[in-house]
Amino acid sequence: MLKIIIPTIMLLPTALLSPKNLIWTNTTTHSLLIAAISLQWLHPTYFPHKNLSQWAGVDQISAPLLVLSCWLLPLMLMASQNHLQQEPMVRKRIFITTLITIQPFIILAFSATEVILFYISFEATLIPTLILITRWGNQPERLSAGIYLLFYTLISSLPLLVTLLHLHTQTGTLHLPTLELMHPSLTLSWTGTLSGLALLMTFMVKAPLYGLHLWLPKAHVEAPIAGSMLLAALLLKLGGYGIMRVTMLMGPLTSYLCFPFMTLALWGALMTSSICLRQTDLKSLIAYSSVSHMGLVIAASMIQTDWSFSGAMILMISHGLTSSMLFCLANTNYERTHSRILLLTRGLQPLLPLMSTWWLLANLTNMALPPTTNLMAELTIMTALFNWSMPTIILTGLATLLTASYTLFMLLMTQRGTSPSYITSIPNSNTREHLLMTLHILPMLLLMLKPELISGTI
Amino acid sequence: MNPHAKLICTLSLITGSTITISSNHWVMAWTGLEINTLAIIPLISKSHHPRAVEASIKYFLVQAAASALLLFSSMSNAWTTGQWDITQLTNPTSCLLLTAAIAIKLGLAPFHFWFPEVLQGTSLTTALLLSTVMKFPPMTILFMTSSSLNPTMLTTLALISATLGGWMGLNQTQTRKILAFSSISHMGWMAVIIIYDPKLSILTFYLYVLMTAAVFLSLNTTKTLKLSTMMTSWTKTPVLNATLMLALLSLAGLPPLTGFMPKWLILQELTKQEMTVTAVIISMLSLLGLFFYLRLAYYATITLPPNSANHMKQWHINKHTNPMTAILTSLSTTLLPLSPMMLTSI
Amino acid sequence: MVNFIQAVRDHWVHILVPLGFVIGCYLDRMNDEKLSAFRNKSLLYRRELKPGEETTWK
Repeated sequence: MLKIIIPTIMLLPTALLSPKNLIWTNTTTHSLLIAAISLQWLHPTYFPHKNLSQWAGVDQISAPLLVLSCWLLPLMLMASQNHLQQEPMVRKRIFITTLITIQPFIILAFSATEVILFYISFEATLIPTLILITRWGNQPERLSAGIYLLFYTLISSLPLLVTLLHLHTQTGTLHLPTLELMHPSLTLSWTGTLSGLALLMTFMVKAPLYGLHLWLPKAHVEAPIAGSMLLAALLLKLGGYGIMRVTMLMGPLTSYLCFPFMTLALWGALMTSSICLRQTDLKSLIAYSSVSHMGLVIAASMIQTDWSFSGAMILMISHGLTSSMLFCLANTNYERTHSRILLLTRGLQPLLPLMSTWWLLANLTNMALPPTTNLMAELTIMTALFNWSMPTIILTGLATLLTASYTLFMLLMTQRGTSPSYITSIPNSNTREHLLMTLHILPMLLLMLKPELISGTI
Repeated sequence: MNPHAKLICTLSLITGSTITISSNHWVMAWTGLEINTLAIIPLISKSHHPRAVEASIKYFLVQAAASALLLFSSMSNAWTTGQWDITQLTNPTSCLLLTAAIAIKLGLAPFHFWFPEVLQGTSLTTALLLSTVMKFPPMTILFMTSSSLNPTMLTTLALISATLGGWMGLNQTQTRKILAFSSISHMGWMAVIIIYDPKLSILTFYLYVLMTAAVFLSLNTTKTLKLSTMMTSWTKTPVLNATLMLALLSLAGLPPLTGFMPKWLILQELTKQEMTVTAVIISMLSLLGLFFYLRLAYYATITLPPNSANHMKQWHINKHTNPMTAILTSLSTTLLPLSPMMLTSI
Repeated sequence: MVNFIQAVRDHWVHILVPLGFVIGCYLDRMNDEKLSAFRNKSLLYRRELKPGEETTWK
């Protein structure tokens, strides 16, 4: 564990002390190296936990998410190079430092076996994210987006803290492997139900569940590219991961508590997909598509079967990579046209022909075309949900249909058609951007060959 | 201010606090409190500004009333029980009177009205003294008598303080008043736990002193008295403003900063005492405070350019920043990993 | 020689992350040894190394 965390922390002095012209190269190279080392976590073992120490351990659920978070750091660094070009050196260093500071906390959150440590590192990602969004965003609305982010998360998570402490008084431990072996302490009393709600609510807000999702499109739209990537690829996954961990603790309570969440999640997947169809703002569209995909993840992790868990895991990983790539693509358009409005940035294929290949690939994975892992995940989740209750097929089927249609809508709007006359000269896409897209699409393509790496316990 | 007078005031301040902290007899404790009050009054009114004089008069009247109440409660206790020991406060009426007296001294709601007004009338450094050093003797009295106080009353006082401190701070534009309300809500957090775990309450007080001192001294370096000054102060000391933001968020109690530690431990103790509802309420009330800390943090550093601001740029000052500020700020942001060590040592 | 010193001055930061890795590996190993020493105190769970086996927990 420490052999990843300490080098990640050492990236901070590297960012601060690197010579001026090498700062991006150094930090990106070293974070890629760390990502390469982190791949060893994917290696399966006979034991439930790998690298188990008193406070952290890696199991089948956390390993893919950990590797994903290590992988995303160099990509975030690569993606932010252009919009920081005009900034003075000190601010570049501070930006990189903020970005790197989040990393150890995310790694800790995914690997912690002590629930309070998980809570602290879960909350600790808030301050750097807040700084990233409100300090480095572009519009004045970023301030209210920051307040939304902070308050939605904190209002839902303070009851979680109290409930965790309550559990600690009752059971005497908050060590996850120990808790899983114990008799579930939450009963069907009022206290138990409220505790269960408090346990779930934080992650429902973070995931986000439809109805509690209003902070997310705001934060996504206002954040700089690295912030959007971070939110879409990692922070939402913290929510999904938390739900999977917490439902294991709740015992018989989940089967009673799951109905409102299932309803909202499935209905929300439908609703947010429909919202995507009439969206004018590219980043907002991608954000709402995240909400719809995470709705499926929430629904799958609430019914707690092996298949649904592995479906949720695969969907989280593949959605992490896909949505992050879509945000990068949106950002390349934004950097050239300075607009996120779909109507103004349409018909870019004649201007950026190679980029439209990446658009095509990203959109195909987003709409879950065979043989992508997204399709595998959606099929697994739909099967598990169908097994849980037949009528869900109507909702999930419609949601899949809508996903395909809004993804096509996004692809056609941005790429096809005549290019508008007011876009006269835009810079060509450069190697950095192509590399960025390649590093996003490559893991997705490779994972098609061996999806059991990310399929959790199965 | 005349250095001799300043020296005498400071020395009597220290003497008064020491007498109260170390005394075992009610009259000595009262004497220490009175020496404290009299010593701080010249420091409050040293600028001779009408607001400062007004603040010192307000302070004097309130403290005199509180001290009289304290003396009365201890005397009635001595009248019924026949002894003057601070820890042996057994008469219920005197307990109630003492709680009121200490609440006035600490600025616990609903006896908090004097506190923001007095802080607003003084300089930032005196305001720091008022919200830290001047609250220490009453805290120790509360600590020593904690076993005999009424839990319901203290919990109610604490919840009201946390509510009003958070709520009334929302519409302030003056930094001293905001910090006064922050002090009131922190006093609420200390009062809610004083009966169940007095040592934890003292630890909370120490950490509060640490964080609030960092904030006050940072503000004092840039002479920031109101939010509009804060907005333009980033040109003076950019780094200090960035760390000020962290210190403010620490004061708000966000993990992984130091300010989370007392909140966490207090919530844990409350849930252990089967006071889960109180724990949820007081933690939610801390979000009110978070809102104004967040606004201060926004003004301090977050709304820097890229947006061009249409204000006059102030000059970077070459004035030496107090090294104490650096130490306090780094302590108030990074102490959370040390919490196991602190837990065993208190 | 001057070039070498200049190169060191420019690129010494590259040592930081590998250094962190080495320290992390060392601390991880220390922790593993501590935990297995703790486990070997128990009569039920103690285990001797088989020939050719490096650790008992993998």
